[in-house]
Amino acid sequence: MKVRVLFFGATADATGEREIEIDLTDSTKAGNAFERIVREFPQLEKHSLLFAVNQEYASGDEVIRNGDELAVFTHVSGG
Amino acid sequence: MKLSETATNSLFSLTSPAAEFRMSNAEIQNPKSQIRNRHGFYEITFEPLDVGAVARRIVPETCGATVTLDGYVRRFTKEREALYLEYEGYEPMALKEMKKLIGQAHEQFEIASIGIVHRLGKLEIGETSVVISVAAPHRRAAFEACEWLIKELKRTVPIWKKEVYSNGEVWVEGEKQSAEN
Repeated sequence: MKVRVLFFGATADATGEREIEIDLTDSTKAGNAFERIVREFPQLEKHSLLFAVNQEYASGDEVIRNGDELAVFTHVSGG
Repeated sequence: MKLSETATNSLFSLTSPAAEFRMSNAEIQNPKSQIRNRHGFYEITFEPLDVGAVARRIVPETCGATVTLDGYVRRFTKEREALYLEYEGYEPMALKEMKKLIGQAHEQFEIASIGIVHRLGKLEIGETSVVISVAAPHRRAAFEACEWLIKELKRTVPIWKKEVYSNGEVWVEGEKQSAEN
């Protein structure tokens, strides 16, 4: 199944991507999906990262479904 | 909490009992990413912010005080001099998180209405990046809610700032406290 992965700010700069599509096996957990993304972009490791699934902060236990929107970003700094 | 029942995801909702809000033509004609319900409104804009307009938009007649935070771009951070800032947001998630903050603030504080607007894009020194207005029957709750809202916004709403200097630029990374929940 395919999911979209979004990057913002520092993670977009680090990966050189704003949005990618990755293939995952069915019923992959969010934690495993994000580990795989970081393996693919090891330059992300030097950042402290937050993850979201379908625009909600993810704990890692979420089961990813086909077409989900994942996001990887650093701790927020708005305001 | 009735927020989730009355909020909508439409760009501009007039289906809720919005009559208590006074709206100018300019506000009606500028509905970008705005969500509004009877507890307040929140939005993202790429245009310059009018601080006073945000405060006036939230005030029902039962209120006696409005506290408004005008957050703007600082030139010096730890002795580094910024030329300008660039803000980027995960806009749909940022709006969801802003909506949650409004609901949580209404649960915790005796307040009537909240307005939150965050600007994105390139901002010059001194330009307003965020406005939070809280109207309440009495001022203490408005001050407390406003302080709580900006603290939580800076912790949970997915927006990032990049400081641009004469010799480089850096994305500011927030404190490593959990943004979950």
